[in-house]
Amino acid sequence: MTWELRVIQEFQITRSAELQSLPAFRDFIESVLKGFPNVEEQVRYDLKLAVDEACTNVILHGYAGMNPGSIILTLQISAQAVRMMITDFGHAFEPNETPMPDVGAGLDGREMGGFGLFIIYQTMDEVDYETTGSCNRLILTKCLEADRTGEALEKPVSSENFEEDLTC
Amino acid sequence: MEIRAEQQAQALVISVAGSIDALTAGEVTRFFSEQIGSGNPQIVADLSQVDFMSSAGLRAFLGALKESRQQGGDLHIAAPQPGVEKILKMSGFTTILKVYPTVEEAAAGFGT
Repeated sequence: MTWELRVIQEFQITRSAELQSLPAFRDFIESVLKGFPNVEEQVRYDLKLAVDEACTNVILHGYAGMNPGSIILTLQISAQAVRMMITDFGHAFEPNETPMPDVGAGLDGREMGGFGLFIIYQTMDEVDYETTGSCNRLILTKCLEADRTGEALEKPVSSENFEEDLTC
Repeated sequence: MEIRAEQQAQALVISVAGSIDALTAGEVTRFFSEQIGSGNPQIVADLSQVDFMSSAGLRAFLGALKESRQQGGDLHIAAPQPGVEKILKMSGFTTILKVYPTVEEAAAGFGT
């Protein structure tokens, strides 16, 4: 379920799904959000981190066995929150079924992977995932410091609208 | 991303500059592994110039930590910037490796 946001401005970038594109996605977030004084440096860092992890998962797993397609990153900015939508055209995945790493494990019990999604959940206030037959969209929302209670997020948007919202 | 090593009295100091992400973490992994495998198991990772690190960096340092301890040494993290320190803490890495505010303190942590 995705919560409606009173969007003030929207920005978008499209890059090929390859690791060389990761700096471009991070630089895009930094350059756009630096123009918004209500988005503090630590918030920008969290957003860059979450997008980097999400795009890495798409590149390494979403497009596995396929020719690399594209990743579309859309930034929606309101007075109270920043929302990032990461759209891809690869394999779908189910974030709720992805096992989380045991961050309390000792060195011997440490797994090498699984931290990407964990970090996304740790840094974002809301994580949603939607998929259609042709594309997938991860929706990450970060409330700004002035509104940590979630008042920025209003009524839910019906998932039935998802397909017509997408430009696949 | 740039990486270089400097031998000091108590440890080999490996300084990384730039971003450690899925694009660059492989180079970090190889560099640390080569140094540890060359008889330098006591490593200080100077992260003062790392402005971004993702979970790919965590994996690189987890591998380096395991390798160094298998060789009888250890890996100390030095001077991480706030964003890097945050990811180390949130993923529980600060419970399995030592983080110091400066390179000098990280090297001194190995004793004389």
